[in-house]
Amino acid sequence: MFLELSDVQKSYLDSSGSKFQVLGPIDLKVETGEFICLLGPTGCGKTTLLRILSGLEKSDRGEIGRGAGRFGYVFQQGALFPWMNVESNVMFPLKAIGMHGSECRVKAERILKMVGLYEFRKSFPHELSGGMQQRTALARGLVTEPELLLLDEPFASLDARTGINLQEMLRNLCGRLSTTVIFVTHNIEEAVYLADRIIVMGHRPGRIVRNESLDLKWPRDRLSNEFTEVLLSFRRTFEELVDPSTSSSS
Amino acid sequence: MTIIKTAWRKISNLLPGLIIPVVIITLWSLFSENTLLPAPKLVIDILSHPSADLLSCGSLFWNTGVSLVRVLLGLFIAILLGTPFGFLMGASERYRRYTNLITELARPLSPIALLPLSIIIFKDTSFTEVLGLNHLKYSRHLFNELQIGMVFILAWGGVFPVILETMHGVRGVRKVYIEAARVLGASKLFIFKNVLLPASLPDIFAGYRMAVGRCWMVIIAAEMLPGTNSGIGYLLRYSYQLSRLDIMLACIFIIALIGLVFSRGLEFIGEKWLLLRARER
Repeated sequence: MFLELSDVQKSYLDSSGSKFQVLGPIDLKVETGEFICLLGPTGCGKTTLLRILSGLEKSDRGEIGRGAGRFGYVFQQGALFPWMNVESNVMFPLKAIGMHGSECRVKAERILKMVGLYEFRKSFPHELSGGMQQRTALARGLVTEPELLLLDEPFASLDARTGINLQEMLRNLCGRLSTTVIFVTHNIEEAVYLADRIIVMGHRPGRIVRNESLDLKWPRDRLSNEFTEVLLSFRRTFEELVDPSTSSSS
Repeated sequence: MTIIKTAWRKISNLLPGLIIPVVIITLWSLFSENTLLPAPKLVIDILSHPSADLLSCGSLFWNTGVSLVRVLLGLFIAILLGTPFGFLMGASERYRRYTNLITELARPLSPIALLPLSIIIFKDTSFTEVLGLNHLKYSRHLFNELQIGMVFILAWGGVFPVILETMHGVRGVRKVYIEAARVLGASKLFIFKNVLLPASLPDIFAGYRMAVGRCWMVIIAAEMLPGTNSGIGYLLRYSYQLSRLDIMLACIFIIALIGLVFSRGLEFIGEKWLLLRARER
């Protein structure tokens, strides 16, 4: 077991000063090497859960047991440092943990070649396309070879084709580096394509409504019947979440 | 061939800007005979002998140099104090709560308004006394002209733009950069050096530029008031008292010229950093 959450809860104070529960209680177990997609509509607390896992926010209640080791984090909009070129951005986490310059460069070179950006290592983020920026962000998240990679809708702002390419790349990279992944998304197809296991979250308060491993084989074919079936079944869950009246009619 | 072409293009870009000055100088030379204004030639005469003594106050060089060194010293202190204070105010909400009111009160207070008070407090103490170089006291030495009171009001004039711009720069750093650095394992010191500082550098530098401009204005006004008998502002006022309009105009020209050199020079230095701002877009 790599990660175990029990009874994790979180609430905020709203503008009128009353408590507003955004998350929980959540119980969740993640195995080493698993690729998990946290799927849910906007505002269901999936990002909050990810931020709690990364330590950016604290939960009000509950316990989080996590295996030792580093983790990486990829933000929705890259959050690349605009004053650093691609190479410096990628070397940032290595330098932050005190690694030496030459060693940093070797590691950065390796991961940049993996994401196909080695020729662009001297470019600045604003000179890159959206897809290349997200690839840089992926490289930055993976360069430390983390045990756990957390991604917050990293491909949401990309066009469909670029998104699909990056999904493939991510899946390959994480397979090669045997990283445990928690991937937050509201895109059902993306989740069905990527995940070993999909966890669907509902809102008010954020909670787990469906937790299911996929037995689709690799490589996954988006046009196959099996794929479409799984996709439809999750779409149904989603519809019921957003509009509960559909569940009574089906 | 191309070198000539680019040179010509550069010159022709400058030409339109020269039209108005040329018109002004032409009008000036046409009408100077019938008015109080001295002919341009007299002013040019003075400007072309910058190391000649004027009115027993020292040369243009000397007085300009005194003003410049005063400004640079005041500016140095303003930057040295203002940058860390501004940084603290930008980074810490609590610290800002303590200091916001006092900076808001002190900031609009003109440094010139403090000149009489600073003369009373510091008298005419100069760097000669501070550094214990009393043997220089009655000679014409630069240290004698660097009065503590003068440097104090310059630092006052410069420190607030530096504090405020630095504060805005630090507060304006996008939260996601800091969070990204945190989740990637960076320590607070590492984030300070590698995220907060470079991200706010363009604003900090803008503060320095504003401070330079303000200090140059403040020193001219301050030198026209009691408390000193050197500096380009003093020479300007003294030549006014003796009705030497030729020297007055020469001083005005030099003040404008140095203002231009300051702002263009800093723009040039800052380009490297201001580029960063363009990168963000």
